[in-house]
Amino acid sequence: MISSQAKDSIERIFYKAAQARLPMAPGDVCDIVPIKPGSVAGKGAIEARAKDGGATQAGRPQAPTGQVVVLTISGILFRLMLLLHFNEDDSTRDYFVKDDAQSTFGEIVAEISNLCCGAMNQELLRYFPDLGMSTPYMLSAQCVPHLENLKPSYLSSYAIQLGDSVYVAATLCVCAAAPIDFVADVSAVEESSGELELF
Amino acid sequence: MAKILVVDDSSTVRDEVAGFLRKNGLDVDTAVDGKDGLAKMKASPGIKLVVSDVNMPNMDGLTMAEKIRGELANGAVNIIMLTTESSPAMKERGKAAGVKGWIVKPFKGDAVLETFRKLAN
Repeated sequence: MISSQAKDSIERIFYKAAQARLPMAPGDVCDIVPIKPGSVAGKGAIEARAKDGGATQAGRPQAPTGQVVVLTISGILFRLMLLLHFNEDDSTRDYFVKDDAQSTFGEIVAEISNLCCGAMNQELLRYFPDLGMSTPYMLSAQCVPHLENLKPSYLSSYAIQLGDSVYVAATLCVCAAAPIDFVADVSAVEESSGELELF
Repeated sequence: MAKILVVDDSSTVRDEVAGFLRKNGLDVDTAVDGKDGLAKMKASPGIKLVVSDVNMPNMDGLTMAEKIRGELANGAVNIIMLTTESSPAMKERGKAAGVKGWIVKPFKGDAVLETFRKLAN
């Protein structure tokens, strides 16, 4: 129900959004590797790719723990869910929280996820003007392997390395209500976020 | 110095925006959602600029803007939306609600500081 070029487009839009919004500092590494759909592998997948030179889609299924940040982009034709899994270990906490004593780790990663999904929404709106986006919400990471039960038209997962030692997992799950076919030209989009548009 | 009200359900964004504006000498109050923002507007009629998220629990930012213009009959305060939403339809709804401007997140303080100063005076 989703054409291969539409799947490629969704993935390109995700890559662009993740690379623009997930790193906390300009110039930080943001290495994204496809992994087995529904898994929450992180470091293992990145290391596997380093060993095999990217020849295979690495993925090391792990028992999902903790929580995932979930956002939904919905329209008449489809519902897209973005799930981001952040390990709450010391290096991840240090990377995202830094010296912010006012906000919890969950609040900070929810807002970062909101920005990432917002960037995807901004791109997708060029092709599907009826889309609306949810606010971020938290679910147990144990839900991730069950996404297949939704019978999605598109399901893909990624391991993301940020900086030297932070690993995040992301899953895209798209349930289509009608055939979807579009080609996203992400390179042609101008960066307009952060600017004030006066009416 | 006129007061600016920052309305966002994300404490991360509230702190980031309010902290930046305070660091640059502006007087800032914060609210956690549209309902709280509307209450702060009622309590502090001297607020000259509202910077608000759109999607929030209890009351969204556009409904708050409509109520500021309608229920509070405050046509003077400048309302800017700071949101991940960027659809033309949403912006049109903002215009109809009396919103003065629109910023797609993330917040880039240096790009808007001088305009915020003007709108807050």
